[in-house]
Amino acid sequence: MSDSKTIDTRSDLLKLLCEAAELEHGIACSYLYAGFSLKRDLAEGGMTWEQQQTVRRWASQIYFIASQEMLHLALVWNMTTAIGGTPYYLRPNFPQPSRYYPLNVPIELEPFGPKSLRRFILYEHPEKVAPHRKLKSLFALAGEDAEKIEFGSVGELYGLIRSGFSNIPEKDLFIGSRTQQMTSELVHFPDLVKVIDRASAIAAIDEITHQGEGIAHDRDNSHFGAFVAMLKDLVHTKGHGFSPARPAMRNPAARVDTSYGGKAKAIENPIAGEIAGLFDSVYSLMLRMLAWSFEFDSAGVEDQLQRFCAVAIDLMPRVLLPLGEGLMLMPAGPKYPGKTAGPGFGLTRHVMLPPDAKNARTLCHERLQELASLAAILLKEQLPDSVRNGCRHLQVIANTF
Amino acid sequence: MKRDFDVIVIGSGVAGAMAAYRLAKLKAHVLILEAGNHNPSRAEMVGAYATAFPKSLHTPYVQIESDTNAPSPDSSPNYYDTPEGFVKFRSTYERRTGGATWHWLGHTPRMLHSDFKMKSAYGGGPNFPDGFVDWPISYDDLEPWYCEAEAEMGVAGSDAEWQNLFNSPRSKPFPMSMIWPSYSDRWIAEQLDGKEFEGLTYRVHSTPSARNSSLYDNRPPCAGNSICVPLCPIGAKYDGAVHVAKAVENGAVLWEQAVVTRLEKDKDASVHRVEFVTYGDINRKNRTASPVTAEVVIIAANAIETPKLLLISELADKSGKVGFYLMDHLSKSTFGKASEPLFPFRGPPSTSGIESFRDGEFRREYAGFRLSLNNDGWGRKGSPYADIVDLVTNERRIGTDLQQALFDRVVRQLRLSCSVEVAPDSANRVELSSMKDALGILRPKVTFAAPQYSLKGLAHATSTMKNMFEILGEKNPDLGQEGAFDGAGHIMGTCRMGDDATTSVVDADCCSHDHHNLFILGSAVFPTCGSPNPTLTLAALALRGADHIARRMGLKTAQVVQE
Repeated sequence: MSDSKTIDTRSDLLKLLCEAAELEHGIACSYLYAGFSLKRDLAEGGMTWEQQQTVRRWASQIYFIASQEMLHLALVWNMTTAIGGTPYYLRPNFPQPSRYYPLNVPIELEPFGPKSLRRFILYEHPEKVAPHRKLKSLFALAGEDAEKIEFGSVGELYGLIRSGFSNIPEKDLFIGSRTQQMTSELVHFPDLVKVIDRASAIAAIDEITHQGEGIAHDRDNSHFGAFVAMLKDLVHTKGHGFSPARPAMRNPAARVDTSYGGKAKAIENPIAGEIAGLFDSVYSLMLRMLAWSFEFDSAGVEDQLQRFCAVAIDLMPRVLLPLGEGLMLMPAGPKYPGKTAGPGFGLTRHVMLPPDAKNARTLCHERLQELASLAAILLKEQLPDSVRNGCRHLQVIANTF
Repeated sequence: MKRDFDVIVIGSGVAGAMAAYRLAKLKAHVLILEAGNHNPSRAEMVGAYATAFPKSLHTPYVQIESDTNAPSPDSSPNYYDTPEGFVKFRSTYERRTGGATWHWLGHTPRMLHSDFKMKSAYGGGPNFPDGFVDWPISYDDLEPWYCEAEAEMGVAGSDAEWQNLFNSPRSKPFPMSMIWPSYSDRWIAEQLDGKEFEGLTYRVHSTPSARNSSLYDNRPPCAGNSICVPLCPIGAKYDGAVHVAKAVENGAVLWEQAVVTRLEKDKDASVHRVEFVTYGDINRKNRTASPVTAEVVIIAANAIETPKLLLISELADKSGKVGFYLMDHLSKSTFGKASEPLFPFRGPPSTSGIESFRDGEFRREYAGFRLSLNNDGWGRKGSPYADIVDLVTNERRIGTDLQQALFDRVVRQLRLSCSVEVAPDSANRVELSSMKDALGILRPKVTFAAPQYSLKGLAHATSTMKNMFEILGEKNPDLGQEGAFDGAGHIMGTCRMGDDATTSVVDADCCSHDHHNLFILGSAVFPTCGSPNPTLTLAALALRGADHIARRMGLKTAQVVQE
């Protein structure tokens, strides 16, 4: 976030939009990791049938909130291309220390629990919190009262972005092609706003801040309200052997040499490491396909653009979700006793997809085939059912692409 | 004279709960009398459903005490007394806190502009049923209350698709964006949109639903658990218990296990006194013994229990129309296989439909209808379990061969269904049976036969679904028996609304023509029903009725407060 109070240049506005894209993206991954960690089956132990219903509700809410973060990322991309930029999908690998963003809260991958919920609450913290929340005492009850609560606001970031869209003359600012804008007709994101002028840019910002981060006032029906309710539920359900989350390691990585920084811990179990690597590769390809769709003018290539988006979105529930959940059922390795692995959301090093539609399709086709072949090799191993499902779905998607 | 309460509400379904909430919020002292037991926790009800075999609509709600003492057609299959020569009325309901919305699907389309004016819009021809009338209110009168009801329930919908549908404008956006159409819906839309049948154009619309598409009213978004019927396991789908809780939070008093047996009128024809009996083990602390009195009495018990209670009490029936013009929608499911995989059994059972056949000049001759695209494969025919049994026992498949065969069979399964308008017919009615329930209360005798006008509509709906299946790649769909239909669970009519006290039971504000302080809320007051699911309309009428009651009582209404 910038120190200046208003934004007056396209360059500064683009820089802030990149920061917003990074944040939305990173926070979404953090939520997904917590969602993956929630137990599904009673056979995993640590919960009664009644508690399992609560755990399922938490999982569905976390996945829903993560999906809204993805929508926010898409809205930021539309804002970016509207003013002549290109969608920014990179971010540093996990973990990011608390000082990396002015949030003053680290962005990490860790299983569901009081500690991760505390972070989520701080990410989504409104400028003013209703007194009845009694946040400090709630954190204390959850055993998370040691750290001082001190953080910046995402609302401030979007406030600055809003000022950029308000200050820079409209006719100079919106130089992106209108047919470059993604809409719900092209990509199956409900509520995606087409950004073509100041009013639509402000509407997109309003949508982001209304749903989640950066809201001015405390609302029950916001991400903040949902996470506070979840922590309260957790505190009240605590005890009696209740253990809703799988013992996944914090900030795992398929390999330690993953690009773009981050002091993650390499998964020691070689098969789990391979699965985590496959997860990263599919995740990176999915992002590149989405970014390609948002970057280029849709005129004349609507079919391919819709196809790329459909496949990218299909990869999330059918491949990434089962691989991610399944990794948390696989031992992390002897170095991490009692811990299971997890997906590192590593951004693997690879080229951006080229502007030429045919070449982009060829690259994606070849990459999907490679990854499906890797899945076929891994399927020969002893794997949790959900990992097997993810591998099989990947083969189906690759074969029909 | 000092009464025990300002308002007594009989029945805690959507209509009663919303009215109780609105009036309690305006500081009225409200009592809700509910015949059913206190609800167990949602998790307990989900558990009861999960572990039961076989399963039914009532499975999550089995409670021996209330099933015995406050029976319903859900808990007691022989609850309705059916006259000889008639088929048993197929639509049922629960008697419990929150009412039958516990097991509704949650769809909330509005009635159309013309649905309120059937007689003046389409009447006069030889095939137009006599029972059709115009409502004493118009779509425009109810429109603001539709918006209020959508906000109260939390309705998700598409403004673009539903704005001005058949000249029925919307003055406010939906509170939430639509429940995202399923993959199956989108594929079907690609095949059907723009094609014509019988001069009308197919257009797939997402169906507005009281099911959260985002966090709303402290309830979570839909997580696609697929069992809206009989029970949403997480409370993403709205049910009447939401407003019962809000009413109680605002000071309303809820007495459960209190079965109303009779209402008594005073010499001046006003109705203040409500008699009830209780059963089972209840906390009598702070309870008044029967009878209990109030300035205003609201009956919101549903379109069977409400006329039953009026007939027992010999009230509101100077017109002789109490119990008459019972309506439902004729529902029919048809089954086929699409030419491509649709991957059913994911998400809510239905997320889109076709509205094109709800209105048009054809309604002079036959009934309009809605069509639903469903996401539940052939679940109504026992799939996928029935397929497994068939594949194992008849085709001797096992292992991966069985798995693949099951996949191939199930992924293309598709169910299309219709909901056909029922013309009001005085022969369709609720009367008192001579038989009594466990508490000695007379049971309802229900007479219902589909009018010819509606059967003709059903035939057109069936041929439309056949045409849709052809376009989607199925040449021989299972269309069921000709003329056969199911109940839709949309019980309406029996206390119709009208300006003329000699032909109707309540006025435009849902107040009895005969008793100035007796109100009837719910779908019982519908004079005609169109083809949409009725819950949103009955909720809008209940909110409008509650506003009228509040003004009559001198309470500060919302508008006054805003000023």
